[in-house]
Amino acid sequence: MPQWFVRGLRRGVVTTRYPARPEPSARDLPGPPAFRAGALSQRSADALVEICPSRALMRTGNVLVFDVGACTACGQCRDHAPEALMPTGEFELATTSRRALIKRIPLLADGEVST
Amino acid sequence: MTTSPADLTDAIAETGEELRRRVASQFRRSLHIRTLDTGSCAACEQEIRLLAAPHYDLHRLGFFFTPAPRHADLLLVTGPMLRAFAAAARKTYDAMPAPKIVVATGACALGGVYQPDAFCFGSADEVLPVDVWIPGCPPSPLALLHGLLVAVDRLAEKVPSLSFTVGGTA
Repeated sequence: MPQWFVRGLRRGVVTTRYPARPEPSARDLPGPPAFRAGALSQRSADALVEICPSRALMRTGNVLVFDVGACTACGQCRDHAPEALMPTGEFELATTSRRALIKRIPLLADGEVST
Repeated sequence: MTTSPADLTDAIAETGEELRRRVASQFRRSLHIRTLDTGSCAACEQEIRLLAAPHYDLHRLGFFFTPAPRHADLLLVTGPMLRAFAAAARKTYDAMPAPKIVVATGACALGGVYQPDAFCFGSADEVLPVDVWIPGCPPSPLALLHGLLVAVDRLAEKVPSLSFTVGGTA
């Protein structure tokens, strides 16, 4: 028992200060990807839709519909198109509206040159 | 005097929001949570269990787990809502005293992983009236903490302002 007491004193308080202070370990959490604007064409978006194992991506015309609620943060889209996607490091995603989780990502039209 | 359907919808939405805030303010001091596994892989349960560990210590924020739905204010639903479990889920919800909050936890409960089929409904809101959605597969304990604090209106939600696009003119 005494050695546990001493060990506890030595290590100090480990409890996170979140939400009063930001939690530093949060940036290492897996999170949904962010899309670089103007980097995705319709064809490359279709490839991502094909890859996504949880059907979080869907293309309608010139817009990629991203359902953040369905995303499992597996990172397969990021591995496929590392130049167009990056991690958000965002974990505060809870919402009172399911519709708020559905995001519309604008795409380049076919033939348009990516920047 | 005539009221257009759009005005009426706005008025109902406004009243609903006001009601939600009032209910949430009742739960600001102490809140008891009942977890409900409707067929999840138990990854969400692992993360929920960690909330009670010293690193996250959700008791400091006034949240407690309870094994009895009759003592619970908040139902934390995980999993894709199996059809075999729907009756039990409804009974659990009915056994909770009003006002009550339902939180769908993880991509399964949000309708991401499983399509509706002969075995599952595919999302929690097919059976229960969900108030708060927490995405993630599984949501980390920090995400769960944020979700619980959003549910009782102690933190603002961030998602509506996020665009998930970076840079450029779009």
